[in-house]
Amino acid sequence: MGIDALLGGFADAITPVNLLFALLGVVLGTAVGVLPGIGPAMTVALLLPATYVLEPTAALIMFAGIYYGGMYGGSTTSILLNTPGESSSIMTALEGNKMAKAGRGSAALATAAIGSFVAGTIATLLLALVAPTVVDLAIGITAADYFALAVIAFVAVATVLGSSPLRGLASLCLGLYLGLVGTDVITGQERFTLGIPQLSDGIDVVVVAVALFAVGESLFVASRLRKGAVQVIDHKGSWMTKEDFRRSWKPWLRGTAFGFPFGALPAGGAEIPTFLSYATERKLTKHPEDFGKGAIEGVAGPEAANNAAAAGVLVPLLTLGLPTSATAAIILAAFQGYGIQPGPTLLTTEGPLVWALIASLFIGNVMLLVLNLPLVGVWVKLLKIPRPYLYAGILVFASLGSFAVNADPLDLVILMVLGLLGFVMRRYGWPVAPAVIGLILGPIAENNLRRALAISDGDLSALTDTWFSRIVLLLALVALVGPFVLRLVKGRRATPEEVQRDGQLEHRDDESVVTSGRDQ
Amino acid sequence: MDHQTQPVSTRADDVRPVTEPTTTKRNTGELVLAVLLAALGVYLLVDAGAIAVPGSTNTLGPRFFPYLVGGLTVVTGAFLALRVLRGDRAPSDDSEDVDPDAPTDWRAVAVIAVAFLAHALLINVIGWPLAVALMFAAVAWALGAVGIVRPFLIGLAVGCIAWIVFVKALNVALPGGTVLEFVTSWF
Repeated sequence: MGIDALLGGFADAITPVNLLFALLGVVLGTAVGVLPGIGPAMTVALLLPATYVLEPTAALIMFAGIYYGGMYGGSTTSILLNTPGESSSIMTALEGNKMAKAGRGSAALATAAIGSFVAGTIATLLLALVAPTVVDLAIGITAADYFALAVIAFVAVATVLGSSPLRGLASLCLGLYLGLVGTDVITGQERFTLGIPQLSDGIDVVVVAVALFAVGESLFVASRLRKGAVQVIDHKGSWMTKEDFRRSWKPWLRGTAFGFPFGALPAGGAEIPTFLSYATERKLTKHPEDFGKGAIEGVAGPEAANNAAAAGVLVPLLTLGLPTSATAAIILAAFQGYGIQPGPTLLTTEGPLVWALIASLFIGNVMLLVLNLPLVGVWVKLLKIPRPYLYAGILVFASLGSFAVNADPLDLVILMVLGLLGFVMRRYGWPVAPAVIGLILGPIAENNLRRALAISDGDLSALTDTWFSRIVLLLALVALVGPFVLRLVKGRRATPEEVQRDGQLEHRDDESVVTSGRDQ
Repeated sequence: MDHQTQPVSTRADDVRPVTEPTTTKRNTGELVLAVLLAALGVYLLVDAGAIAVPGSTNTLGPRFFPYLVGGLTVVTGAFLALRVLRGDRAPSDDSEDVDPDAPTDWRAVAVIAVAFLAHALLINVIGWPLAVALMFAAVAWALGAVGIVRPFLIGLAVGCIAWIVFVKALNVALPGGTVLEFVTSWF
């Protein structure tokens, strides 16, 4: 079924309207990826109201373009600005930044863009090949199994990915709470609405995501703005040489091999594979003396891993309806906006839509290569926008997106209240993504839990009826308890050590990269 | 040029000696946050008991999951408070535009919050583009932009263009204000 369906998808994706939305998506995605302070999750959230006017295929193609484009744009920022950005591009920044300072910025940007293209194309192909198989396996999945999957996604996002498991859990709790506010779908009872009528419909996903990502981030940056002109490293210099290609192609492929499986796992994410890729390239390189001074392998590998992981995240999203990153969670909300519930039946009920989406990812990748190789100078200009205007502009669009949902000023008040919450979370190192995933996946998890227990007449053992749910819940338990046990074993002083190891990471001392990569 | 290497080196210096004044200061805020989280959990547990359960529900009603979330929240908040008391510090959170050593500029945060709330109330009075332009100017001023006229004009331009694109092309409902709605009424 795979190839024919994919070709059908290409036929759908290649219509002028859909091509236009793919282009719009990748251009927007690259722009927000380049700009500090906003990312693909927030952009997709802001554009969720577009689902009221656009047909599903066009909207989802645009969102997927934003998602992929954000990954490309992020590498430009991390190479040309000398400050670390989002965690999955820190590894790119290590060597890429050094290359740019040594006058090899052009080559660094090129290897990142081509590596992203190679990884994105291979990983999307893998997605197309794997998705039908996963669906076949998952078609008999029970409500209890699904609840177990949701639990492991919660645990993974909260504890495995962030640097502080407890703070990840704290953020998840906030998200689950926000997801509870509103009317219970099964019994029609109001929960935690404080008697405010507008809250009986629940708090809108757009408002929460925009508040935590855009408003919270803007306030956090405002509280500690780096003063003075923005320093962008010059991206001139010679393009990739033959030697550069020879040194890059293997890291591209190895990075893809690391990234895709990690992204596809419910406990995935882009951070671990980029760490692993960097460590591997440093071990395998024939030019160890370059590492720390701008080794091209150290840009090519992690950047490929980053993009392959982004494609991998779409596997659980499209086959199980399970979001494992903030952007995936918001794309899930977009599906729900159309009354489509992603899950094992998605590929059969909405086959043409899914295949058009996958086909558009291939097309988007080609567009992104063109956008990022010859046109990189345009994006670099974006980096120079004066920060007061940038953050003021972000708040303008936050207002637009949130007000457009219900045309109710109260939503903007809720937006600012949650934005202040986001600010406090950022200030005290609580990750924001678990809250968004808790908000969107929480109600789905509750639904499946109650369905599973309704079948069993309230007998809790029904949750571990199948081998699948037993294994998944066990894994979740290990992932939840593991970090705390490790900390007990290592002693109470683990935390300053961790921080210090982070410091070492940036100084590229010895082999600490490998260990901290696994500890994440 | 030496400015460029500064962030990395100061971060490293910041890490090695666990500096006392910042630690105590940060810890208070973090502790308050953890206690508030536990309090939220208690609220969830208490208020979940007040959710009406229809008589027909023989199995799991609307209270079960809130109890679960409430319990998890209490436990997480308590553990986090305990660890913060023992000297655990939040991992430093990076952003491209953040100076990790700058003192918190509460004034900027306050100005932005107030400007945003004011614009929320003004939208239905003077229209979205003008309200947003005023907010833009206030935010840019709080973040250190030079002048007040230029930021306002830029904000007005951004607001008008966004309004025209979203309202005229995408049919999003946004009050445009008397002037703009009159001027664009022909298309």
